[in-house]
Amino acid sequence: DATQHRSEELTQTPRHLLVCERSSFQDEKNRLSTQVEMLHFNYKVSVLLPECSSAPSQLDSVLNSFTSFYLIKNLPVHELLDQHFLQTAVFQGCVYALSYRTRIDEDNCVALMPNGRLLLSLDKDSFELLGFEGKPSRFNHRVKSRFVVSVDLTSSCMAPGGSGYLRLVSGLKSRLNLQMDFLLLHHPGGGASLQSLLSRYASSEHRPTISQCRLSDLSCPVLESCDPSDAHSLLEWLGAVDADISWDSSCDFVSTLVCPEPKMTLSSALRVSVCGFLTPQDIQRLISELRCYLEQSRLGSWVSLTVHGFVDSPVSWGANEHGVLKGGENLYTLLMHHDGTYHLHLATGAYDSCPP
Amino acid sequence: MVRVKSRYLLCEINVTERKYLLQLDDRAVAAAVREAVGRIHGDYGEALCNIRFSVKYLNAHTGIVFLRFSKRFYKLLWSALPFLTCVKTRGQTIPCFLKCLHVGGTIQTCQKFLIKYNTQQLHRMLPNCKNEEEKEHVRKAIMNCSQAWGRKKDDDDEVRSEEDEEE
Amino acid sequence: MRNTDEKEETSVYRRVVLKNSSPYHYMRVCLVVDDQRIRPSVVELKNFIITGLRTLHGQAGAAINFDVLKYEEDSLTAILRIYSRGLVKLWSSLTLISSYENHNCAFRVNQVSPYLLALTGNSRDLQLD
Repeated sequence: DATQHRSEELTQTPRHLLVCERSSFQDEKNRLSTQVEMLHFNYKVSVLLPECSSAPSQLDSVLNSFTSFYLIKNLPVHELLDQHFLQTAVFQGCVYALSYRTRIDEDNCVALMPNGRLLLSLDKDSFELLGFEGKPSRFNHRVKSRFVVSVDLTSSCMAPGGSGYLRLVSGLKSRLNLQMDFLLLHHPGGGASLQSLLSRYASSEHRPTISQCRLSDLSCPVLESCDPSDAHSLLEWLGAVDADISWDSSCDFVSTLVCPEPKMTLSSALRVSVCGFLTPQDIQRLISELRCYLEQSRLGSWVSLTVHGFVDSPVSWGANEHGVLKGGENLYTLLMHHDGTYHLHLATGAYDSCPP
Repeated sequence: MVRVKSRYLLCEINVTERKYLLQLDDRAVAAAVREAVGRIHGDYGEALCNIRFSVKYLNAHTGIVFLRFSKRFYKLLWSALPFLTCVKTRGQTIPCFLKCLHVGGTIQTCQKFLIKYNTQQLHRMLPNCKNEEEKEHVRKAIMNCSQAWGRKKDDDDEVRSEEDEEE
Repeated sequence: MRNTDEKEETSVYRRVVLKNSSPYHYMRVCLVVDDQRIRPSVVELKNFIITGLRTLHGQAGAAINFDVLKYEEDSLTAILRIYSRGLVKLWSSLTLISSYENHNCAFRVNQVSPYLLALTGNSRDLQLD
C-alpha cells in the first residue's frame, strides 16, 4: 500500500467526533430538547424544506419572532458583575452574553451562560494579572498557556459584597482592565431587563437576519435508511446545498462531487437560514413549528435543520470547554421524518469533548 | 545516551552489462537517489535527503550498495527508489534499477544478511559451473564466506564499537 | 479509528459515536494576486494548485485527488475538498505557492473543517457594523 510508505505525520488530521443518534419524538425518553438547550451560543440555523416553494405563514412568524440581540461596544467585564445588573437581569431569567470579535485561540474571551455562570478564557499574562482561581485549559494543560476562570454568580460565595465577589471585581477593575464588545440578550425579558447596561454604553439592537432561497430540480439522496455509515455523505450533501454548490459539474477534472446514491430529484425546495445571536429557546420553538408543518404534509416527507454554534465560544454543549484548533466547529443537524422519528448528528472539532 | 536511529537499506544495483558497474561511484549513486526522491516527493523529499542520507558502501564488483536514511522518514524515501532508472556518472548515463534486499537498523545486521545472501548466491552458482576448475573456485569462495562468518562472530564487539563511531 | 457504543433502550433509539471518520476535509481558500486584473478560471486554478503540489511533494503529491467544489471568479475564493490523508500535503503546498504567472500571489486559507456544513456557518464572518 502506497500510503504506508509515506511518513505518518503527513497523513494525520486533527481529531474530530461525530455523534449519530436516532430516536423518536414519541419516545418519552428522547433527549432532543436537552441537547438543543445545552448548546447555548448559536450563530446560525438553516432549514431545508423539500417539496416546498414558499414558507408557510406560521413558520414565517416564528422566524420573525426570534429574539433580537444587542451589541455593546467596549464594555468593561466587571459591569457584568454589577450588583444592579445581577439583580435585574442575571437572577431574573437567562442572560446570554458572549464577547464579540474575540478569537479564542489568540484573544481573551468571555461568556455569560444562562445559568449564571461567568466564563473567562484568558491567556497566561491576563490570568496572572487577574489573580483569581482558574484552571489551565484542557487543550494545552502541559504548556499552561491558556486558563479558564469559571465563576457561578448565583452561588453564595459570589454574592455581591462577599470576599470572592470583591476579589474578582477588583481584579477586573484595577489589575486586568478587560474591555470588549459583547453580544447580549435576555430571555424572556428582552431589552427591558438590560436597559441600565445598554443606556450607559454605546450599544445597538440587531435583528437576526433571515434569508430564504428557493431551489429547483435538486438531486437529493433517498433518505429511507439513514445508516450511521452514510452520515458523512448525508452531511456533505446538506453542506453542498447550504453552500450553493452545483451538482451537475460540467467537468470532472474540476470536481468529482456526486449526489449519494440512491437519489431522486426534488422539483422544488426551500432553504431558510437565520443568522445572528440565537437562543436555544427560539430554536426549540422553530423545531416544534417544523414538527407541526411535517404532520400536515404528505407521507414520507422530511425536514432538516442545522444549527451552528459560535466558533469562539469558550463552551460548546453544557459546560464542556471548547477551543479552536483549526476549525472550532460545534454544530448539529436534525433530520425529522414524517412519522416522528428523527436523526440527530452532533459534530465537534479537535478542541472539544464528546457532545451529549 | 540517546541514539540517533537510522535505517540501512541494502540494495543491489542491476545493470544491463557488468562493465557499467565498475564505472559507478558512491557520489553518482547518491545523486541519482536524490534526483529520484526529488522527482517523486518534490522539494519536501529532497529536503529530507539532506538529513542523514548517505551512501555508506558501494561494491563496484557485485553492485551492492548500502543507503543510510533517517529512521523517521525512510519509508517515504524508500518509496521513491523504484523510480530510479539511471545513474549519471562521468558524463555517461547508465540505465539501471535498484533492488532492495534488506532493511536493517545497523550496518552489522545488513552485513550479516549480505554474507548469508552471497553464500546463497554461490550455492546457486555451483550447479551451473562448466568445469572442475570453476567448481573448485566457487567451493573455495563458499568456504571463505563461512570462515569470514565465523570470524565475524568473534569480532562482534569490535564491529559494535565501529558502529558507535558512526552515530 | 471507529468507536461504536450502541445502547438498545428502545427499538428506535440508537447512538453511534464516530471518531475521526470523515473521509474528506473541506477548505475555504482565497487567492490573492498583487495584480488585481488576474482572474484565473476554475480549470486554471485547479491546475495551478496541482503545480504547487508537484513542486513541494513531487509526482506523488501531484497525484493527490482533490476537488474544487465551488469557485467564485470575482472574489477568487474557492471551496476545496480533499481526502483527509492528503490534507496536510495540500495545505502545505498552498502555503508555499508564491507566484502566479510571474506575479506575486498567496493563498489565504480561511477555514478548514471535516464538515462541509461548517463552512457555511462560520461565526467569525458575523458583521454587525
